[in-house]
Amino acid sequence: MATATPTDSMHRVWSMSSLKSSLPSAVTCRLPSPSSRRPVLISSPSPRLPSFSGLSPVNPLISTGLPGWQSFEDGFKIIDGGGRVYAMRHGRRVPKLNRPPDQRKALLRGLTTQLLKHGRIKTTRARASAMRKFVDKMITLAKDGSLHKRRQALGFIYEKQIVHALFAEVPDRYGERNGGYTRIIRTLPRRGDNAPMAYIELV
Amino acid sequence: MSVNNRDPLVVGGVIGDVLERFTRSIDLRVTYGQREVTNGLDIRPSQILNKPRVEIGGEDLRNFYTLVMVDPDVPSPSNPHLREYLHWLVTDIPATTGTTFGNEIVSYESPRPTSGIHRIVLVLFRQLGRQTVYEPGWRQQFNTREFAALYNLGLPVAAVYFNCQRDNGCGGRRN
Repeated sequence: MATATPTDSMHRVWSMSSLKSSLPSAVTCRLPSPSSRRPVLISSPSPRLPSFSGLSPVNPLISTGLPGWQSFEDGFKIIDGGGRVYAMRHGRRVPKLNRPPDQRKALLRGLTTQLLKHGRIKTTRARASAMRKFVDKMITLAKDGSLHKRRQALGFIYEKQIVHALFAEVPDRYGERNGGYTRIIRTLPRRGDNAPMAYIELV
Repeated sequence: MSVNNRDPLVVGGVIGDVLERFTRSIDLRVTYGQREVTNGLDIRPSQILNKPRVEIGGEDLRNFYTLVMVDPDVPSPSNPHLREYLHWLVTDIPATTGTTFGNEIVSYESPRPTSGIHRIVLVLFRQLGRQTVYEPGWRQQFNTREFAALYNLGLPVAAVYFNCQRDNGCGGRRN
């Protein structure tokens, strides 16, 4: 293992470069680097490290200044959303819809706008089940009815007449119903690419 | 056989919006040109310009049936304040025959949805005998349940529905 002693270890300050140099070099991790975003190159493991030991701290004597290095979390005080990185998709429930995040958001915004406008639309099953959450969210905002919620809805839905119509009619239409404002009906696959289709409609 | 919760009429919301739960007892075959209508089929207005060919089952020619064709999603499924729109009303159809043998009270008007995807429902009722049915004053705000109660038609004996949206897509963003 590269025993590059952290230059500022004497000041008990922990830095990313010291951490990266201390880790076994066969690891590619998604740790956000504050400075530049160069990709971490995978080099061949040095002979002193016969097997891959994961992200566990190999050298417990790394001077991070934090006592009680017991487990994986103790050494990695990264301020993020608490995200762990696995190789598999276990437990990830956000549908990606084969699109980058900005385009995905725009797609869902457009679909909810169209559903609120037309009442029933026909789309693929994955998109229909992905947009349920956002349609329910918009109807919940309309149920609240305050100005702040109206502005939040205006920031999501593309056409403002739809927002105003929604805020006007939702209390009558969905006053008693708690959640579940949409219904999905599966239908025949699309001819061009055999994509499974579904109707999604406002209940 | 009775309708269960997986029945397309229940899933599509027809039972609930238009009809009550019923037991299907008569065959109903609706054909537009070459296409037979099955529940939830997607048909464009250009294919339903003319009245369909309707064939009903049953055995006894002395039983008469009434066919009602309504659209519960007018003017738009998101705002159906004109629910339902009556497209066709034929009475005194003898069993095992079709609508050509019946009495067309309200002439066929082909559905032309402007906004959204509309369901078009065809319902078959059994009449107690030959009865005069008066046509309603206007086509919209029709209520199938009230109509059946008014003429003592009881629960439906058969129903089928299909989806219809306008020919050239949703029409784009109209501000």
